[in-house]
Amino acid sequence: MHIEVQPSHTYDVSRYNILKTSLLKTLLEGANDVIIKKNHAVYFRNVSKIYNTGTVALNHFDFPVEEGEFISFLGPSGCGKSTALRMVAGLGTPTSGEVTVYGEPPEELIKNTNDIAFVFQDANLLPWRSVLDNVLLPLELRGGNKKENKQAAISVLEMVGLKDHLTSYPRQLSGGMKMRVSIARALAARPKLLLMDEPFAALDEITRQTLQMELLDIWKKEKMTVLFVTHNVYEAVFLSSKIAVMSARPGRLSSVIDVNLPYPRELGMRTHPAFSDYVDRASASLENDEKRKETV
Amino acid sequence: MAMSEVEMTKKQQALVAAGKKQKPFASTFKELYLGPIIAFILFLSLWQMIPSVLGLPHYILPKPTDVWEATVSDWSLLQEAIRITIFESVIGFFLSAVIGIGVSVLLASSKILERSIYPYAIILQTIPVVAVAPIVVIWFGAGFNSIVVISFLIGFFPVISNTLMGLNSVDKSMDELFTLYNASKWQRMWKLRIPAAMPYMMAGLKISCTLSIVGAIVGEYVAGIGGGNGGLGYAITVAAIQVKTSFLFSCGIAAAILGISFYLLVSLFSKMMLGSWHESAMKSDK
Repeated sequence: MHIEVQPSHTYDVSRYNILKTSLLKTLLEGANDVIIKKNHAVYFRNVSKIYNTGTVALNHFDFPVEEGEFISFLGPSGCGKSTALRMVAGLGTPTSGEVTVYGEPPEELIKNTNDIAFVFQDANLLPWRSVLDNVLLPLELRGGNKKENKQAAISVLEMVGLKDHLTSYPRQLSGGMKMRVSIARALAARPKLLLMDEPFAALDEITRQTLQMELLDIWKKEKMTVLFVTHNVYEAVFLSSKIAVMSARPGRLSSVIDVNLPYPRELGMRTHPAFSDYVDRASASLENDEKRKETV
Repeated sequence: MAMSEVEMTKKQQALVAAGKKQKPFASTFKELYLGPIIAFILFLSLWQMIPSVLGLPHYILPKPTDVWEATVSDWSLLQEAIRITIFESVIGFFLSAVIGIGVSVLLASSKILERSIYPYAIILQTIPVVAVAPIVVIWFGAGFNSIVVISFLIGFFPVISNTLMGLNSVDKSMDELFTLYNASKWQRMWKLRIPAAMPYMMAGLKISCTLSIVGAIVGEYVAGIGGGNGGLGYAITVAAIQVKTSFLFSCGIAAAILGISFYLLVSLFSKMMLGSWHESAMKSDK
């Protein structure tokens, strides 16, 4: 783009130069902003995280997440996948580099919007609150009409199939049901971006499969972007539209796999040759990293 | 065929249910209550026998029957003393609960406040209140006021240290959840920290309720009665001077019963408060 700014007789040359550069900057940044807002839900730009202990949790991590994607961060423990996810939620700041969510720093977004929701590894429910009150919590903290909030909470609980357990307390629920409540709580505030930190790791295989299917349904229905942290290759392939394979010590991105399996995905797909191919590729990528580490 | 089968299972169920109901009642009585009751009766009869066998006079070791007689004959005195001690210790306990929890919440709401004051709260806790009781009497005068203050002081610190510990024991990921939803400091306090501290608070109250009775009795020893009627502590002092040992036993037993009932009451209250969620209050569920 060619920009011409004519110097008027009231400006001297140096003022003109400053004006020119600042104009260019705003134009460029503005243009950049438009692109980010349109295409990228999350953008990791050269993100590093070094803890006080000297551990490099994340090393020059560059990764764009487009809106509407289902991304899995797949890797062994200590590869920084949780660290990366927590940064997106503003629960940690990068040592260097930048994380933006819809073009903004996540801390700002958390202050002003309900765009980001986080599902923790354990269901993390408040034991003194009933199922309904747990789901109401985010809405309550944001204020708003009590009746509407309750309606919203009940409708998300219906979505996860817990409409009959509104008055139960967390201790009365099974692990799978607790996780459902936790997901409902995350969805209650209608987030655009759902962050999940190994949410199904503690569940048995059958419950996990059911919840995986339900999660995909919800993702399609709500048109969200999902970032999903897991160390389970099958889970990553089954759920994701794209897998970011990460490796440990230092935590970094080792490869990106686009999973071109059609949605809706069904349980039967797990035996499909294409599915196995993706599993092989992801596993190979993980193994290569292990080997490289051993030779170093 | 099917019908009879259904009936069979129904009968079986009824039998099982009946068996379940009957058996635990008898067996729990045997397992839980029979032993202590026998031990108690044995203890009483031994106590009854020892003074006669050893030839101890009643002012050294009164027999249970002597204690009973003293209790009955001086009942009006004892009853009044109990009433007054209950009044003093309940007020002392109430003050230590309200002020203790209030101060803890205030301290916990500001890191700077807590860091600068909490160490002193701990040091103050180690001061034996009996040692400072005379100062309290100088400040608040002999009688009721001082007694309540001493009872309050003794009960206050367990509440503060327990509540503060609870307020700071919030699960990290729950705390992060509140950060994610941009909760204000006081939202976090009311909706997260105070409910999470509830079990700790209740533990503190349970300790402080029995201590408040100790405080009231000690207060009566030190602060006297200031013109009014005396409580258990005063009755004990008087009985000791008059060497009414049997009545001393009555007072001691009354104080013990008072402490136990107060503790049970506070435990009941704590169970009601925690009933919906806390594990230690949920044993009946399993």
